[in-house]
Amino acid sequence: MGEGVWEQVQEQCSDVRKVDLVVALPSFNQASTVVPVVQTIVAGLKSSFGHASILFLNADVGSQDGTPDLVRQAVGGSVPFASIRPHTEGMSGSTFALNRFSYSGMPAREEAFRSVFAVTRRLEADACIVLDPSVRTVTAEWVSLLAKPILEKGADYVAPVFNRQRYEGSLTNNLIAPLTRALYGKRVACQIGGGYGFSQKISNFFLENEALWEGDGGRFAIDSWVTTVAVAEGYGVWQTCLGNKVQDIKAGADISMSLAQAVGATFHYMERYQDIWEKQVGSEEVPIVGRPCEIDMESVPIQVDRMLKGFRQGLRDLLPIWEIILAPDTLAGVLELGLRDDEEFRYPLPLWVQTVYDFAVGYHEKVIHREHLLKSLMPLYLGRTASVVLETKGGGPELVQDTVEHGCQTFEVMKPYLIDRWRFQ
Amino acid sequence: MSEMWQDAMVAAFRETASRGVLFLPKLMALVTFLMLGVAMGWLVKVSLMRILNVVRFEVFCERMGLTPALTKAGMKQQIPHLVGRLAFWIVFLFFAFMGVDALDLPATANLMSAVLGFLPNVVAAILVALVGVLLANFTGEAVLIAAVNAQIHGARFIANMVRWGVVIFTVAMVLTQLGIAKEIVVAAFSIIFGGIVLAMAIALGLGGRSIAKEVLERRFGREKSRDEFTHI
Repeated sequence: MGEGVWEQVQEQCSDVRKVDLVVALPSFNQASTVVPVVQTIVAGLKSSFGHASILFLNADVGSQDGTPDLVRQAVGGSVPFASIRPHTEGMSGSTFALNRFSYSGMPAREEAFRSVFAVTRRLEADACIVLDPSVRTVTAEWVSLLAKPILEKGADYVAPVFNRQRYEGSLTNNLIAPLTRALYGKRVACQIGGGYGFSQKISNFFLENEALWEGDGGRFAIDSWVTTVAVAEGYGVWQTCLGNKVQDIKAGADISMSLAQAVGATFHYMERYQDIWEKQVGSEEVPIVGRPCEIDMESVPIQVDRMLKGFRQGLRDLLPIWEIILAPDTLAGVLELGLRDDEEFRYPLPLWVQTVYDFAVGYHEKVIHREHLLKSLMPLYLGRTASVVLETKGGGPELVQDTVEHGCQTFEVMKPYLIDRWRFQ
Repeated sequence: MSEMWQDAMVAAFRETASRGVLFLPKLMALVTFLMLGVAMGWLVKVSLMRILNVVRFEVFCERMGLTPALTKAGMKQQIPHLVGRLAFWIVFLFFAFMGVDALDLPATANLMSAVLGFLPNVVAAILVALVGVLLANFTGEAVLIAAVNAQIHGARFIANMVRWGVVIFTVAMVLTQLGIAKEIVVAAFSIIFGGIVLAMAIALGLGGRSIAKEVLERRFGREKSRDEFTHI
């Protein structure tokens, strides 16, 4: 695949042999937002990397609205530009594929990333940054925030962090980030989309390890697994606060699919990195650049009663499935929650952590079909989210942050439970 | 007269004796085949059970929902044991039919070739039944989870309908494969399936309009998601 993509680059930029920085834009039908994003990126490149050699790369997975042409026009002749069409095995260009295959809202996003890594390797670029054309709030500063930690401070991977509204990214805050932190000992926010930075070293690693791209986790959830793999492999992970993120394609519109893909990716790599996370104790901060991120106290509408309804329906209908997955004492705790009134409803944090760990063990043991297992976590997740909303109702941003932090610590403290069950199930 | 009677007696005795002498090896062949059948059946059963245990077939069946389905149907034995027993009886019957064929009786003439001719149908029917049960459980479970996550009322009912739809379809296919009352099976299947579809259509039209509206609105996004925040 790398050769085909490289030939496309050579056809368009035959004189480009080596660059300092690759700026990549994976795209799919984003004509409505792409032009201002590209103009902003080009402005950022001129102001921060005026003297560096750069390739602007558009990896389009089959747009039918002329996105690649708009990108080419917007870039103009300001920086060397190439538009490539990654090999997507027929997944691109289908709206069905868009809904079916990736919570990122973009089909074959993984292949676009892979092509970008392949070009980065061929050009021996020191860094490559990937930006999303659907994010309307990209600023010129994002380019340097993502690239400079790699070019100047030796980072291998730069993950984005955004200002968020209260309760935004609930799945990430309540499950993925605490679990990743407990497993691999790095305090990363695990937020996705917007922009990433990669060193040549880590992009080569991604390219050379075919196994990373296999399985549903590898295929459909690259936004989730790049962070997991970077922390698990011990690469230099940095975070950069990029400010606000307003995105046209709402990542994770289908919640159960998003949950299955994002959580599935985390569970998938738990099997690969078992030797690493079993030995890991405690956690440490990772370096962060940019202005400190904030939690906006303005909350978007949240229907707690609807979440509780979902939880109770799960309790009523999915019990035979949960009986297979959950340990008896976890199940007993969950059953007890069904008796509580809406206002008094609390899903205790230790019980939630135990639930997540039981699901991880169930995934590992393949007690039922894995997609079914992951999707059956959905009502329990709704229950925990409702509980967090009720617990922090009326509190300030510190309370929300404290709740998330307390969750992370509990995941760490209860890790022996996971190790015991994982080993001796 | 007496001589004729004597000749008839001797001839009859000789005939019977010669038939007996001719039949005895055949009887011994039958007994040998039966003993061989028991021995070979036992060997196949034990080997098969060991192989299935090594490849963790029981775990696979548990995961695919076959074990719970059989438990619900009253089967208490483990599936590898069940498969082993089935293999034993197939092998035993195979040898038994050979033994019966060896008797060379007019009533059982060509029994073995008839059995062998029908055997592919039986194997195909067993495979169809197995795949059907697995598919019924898998689709039933998938529909149940999807319906619960979509917060659709009567999720379990919908899942059961799907599960039993697949089971009925499988039974019809198995009976057709075995050639048992083909016309009746096709007619019965058409009536049952058509009846279910008609009943569902009437039920939806009369009593389930609100549910259908809710599902369609959610599917086509006319009703905005009430939770506006992103989970990821």
